[in-house]
Amino acid sequence: MLRGGPSGARNPPSLEQINAEVFTLTYGSIVRQLIADFEDIEEVNKQLEQMGYNMGIRLVDEFLAKAKISRCSSFRDTADVVAKQALPMFLNVSANVTNWSPDQTECSLVLTDNPLADFVELPEEYRELKYCNVLAGVVRGALEMVNMDVECRWVSDMLRGDDCYELRIKLKEHRDEKFPYKDDD
Amino acid sequence: MFHEKQSGPAAAAALEAVGYRVGQQLAERYTRDKPRLGDALEIIKFVCKDFWQALFKKQVDNLKTNHRGVYVLQDNGFRWLQRLSAPPPGSDPAREEAARQLALSYLHLPAGIVRGALCHLGVSCTVEPDPKQLPSCTFTVRVM
Amino acid sequence: MGIAAVAFIGPQNNPLYLRSMDPSPSDDQYMKLHYVVHCALDAVEEKVLLKRGPSDSQDAYLGLLYPTEDYRVYGYLTNSHVKIILLFDDEGTIKNEMVLRVFRRLHALYVDTASNPFHSFGLPIRSGRFEAQLEGIVAVAPKPGASLGGFMT
Repeated sequence: MLRGGPSGARNPPSLEQINAEVFTLTYGSIVRQLIADFEDIEEVNKQLEQMGYNMGIRLVDEFLAKAKISRCSSFRDTADVVAKQALPMFLNVSANVTNWSPDQTECSLVLTDNPLADFVELPEEYRELKYCNVLAGVVRGALEMVNMDVECRWVSDMLRGDDCYELRIKLKEHRDEKFPYKDDD
Repeated sequence: MFHEKQSGPAAAAALEAVGYRVGQQLAERYTRDKPRLGDALEIIKFVCKDFWQALFKKQVDNLKTNHRGVYVLQDNGFRWLQRLSAPPPGSDPAREEAARQLALSYLHLPAGIVRGALCHLGVSCTVEPDPKQLPSCTFTVRVM
Repeated sequence: MGIAAVAFIGPQNNPLYLRSMDPSPSDDQYMKLHYVVHCALDAVEEKVLLKRGPSDSQDAYLGLLYPTEDYRVYGYLTNSHVKIILLFDDEGTIKNEMVLRVFRRLHALYVDTASNPFHSFGLPIRSGRFEAQLEGIVAVAPKPGASLGGFMT
């Protein structure tokens, strides 16, 4: 059984060590395996999200180390970094951030190219499958590590015939780090 | 990146199954423009060279066979194990065993890929991974 | 001259895809098609056995398998032992390079279709994308009377 639970593995191979095609095919095979193991598509969607979450909480450190940027203060800056730096680093594709809500707590991450979905043709019986749900989990996990609790949901999905992948990200709570002194004072 | 699973035989079998499908698909992709491969040995050599190169960015370092259907593929610098560090020499057996089990958990997926590819190209077999001295490991192919 | 039919047959001679390019094939025609493809598989086996000499090239392309009274049947064998069979209407000249080109495109299409995580090896191919792209590839073969350079004698 594949489960999206934590494990003792601490040093997984990095993306540069796995070629892109293999990454895409492996993800697809994992989705297929989850469907075989769980059968219920909603459960598979949850498992994918959980898997992404577990990856997201670990990726942040690797990302911050490689990107050499300090933690962002605002949700807006964070969203931009995810779209323009983090996604290219891990998925080799960049996204746009659009559709900001007036109070700046909600935005959309839009991708027109998604390597995870290369070669994928979603059969009719799996039309409820959120194939790329791992991304929703990664964003949620990563942002949680920088003290932002978010909710992600898919608004558009090219595998279902839409013209892009649009992930709606809603900031629920921004837990400010409580330090007695701020760095930029 | 996808090794965030519980350990245990069920997880190992699941990872192997995931790898198997990938191996079949990669066998199709990597043999698309190649002339037809012949017997089992030719196919295994292909896996050791072109296939390994495309997948693991290097070739298998050593291929041994007993000429009775058993082939041992040795990779002295297996890419997917490179971030694991071996316990220092003289460590207690428990620690060594834990390190071995961890390394093994990373090998189910690639072993599945190798088995999927070989079976898909006509060589029905089992593939047993064995982490030796990190980052070296072997994959023992038993042709059925 | 055009492509009358395409077939993809799996390693256990299991049918993966069989398509007549006739807009409305009769039952008779379909049976004939099945029969021709069946014979083609025998011809493929023979060719493969014959080609095992050291100097023979082990290409995927097997060339003309045999002519029937209505068709010229060509074969192609992948490393995964999938056979692609093409039936050409027996009119005009058919150039090997053109046939090979069609086979290569069909092979590439098959490989990409097989890379879909929802593809099941061994089962018949059920993919709208595969059908649509196959139609595009097969339609490129010139019809009788067409004046496309490079395909005329």
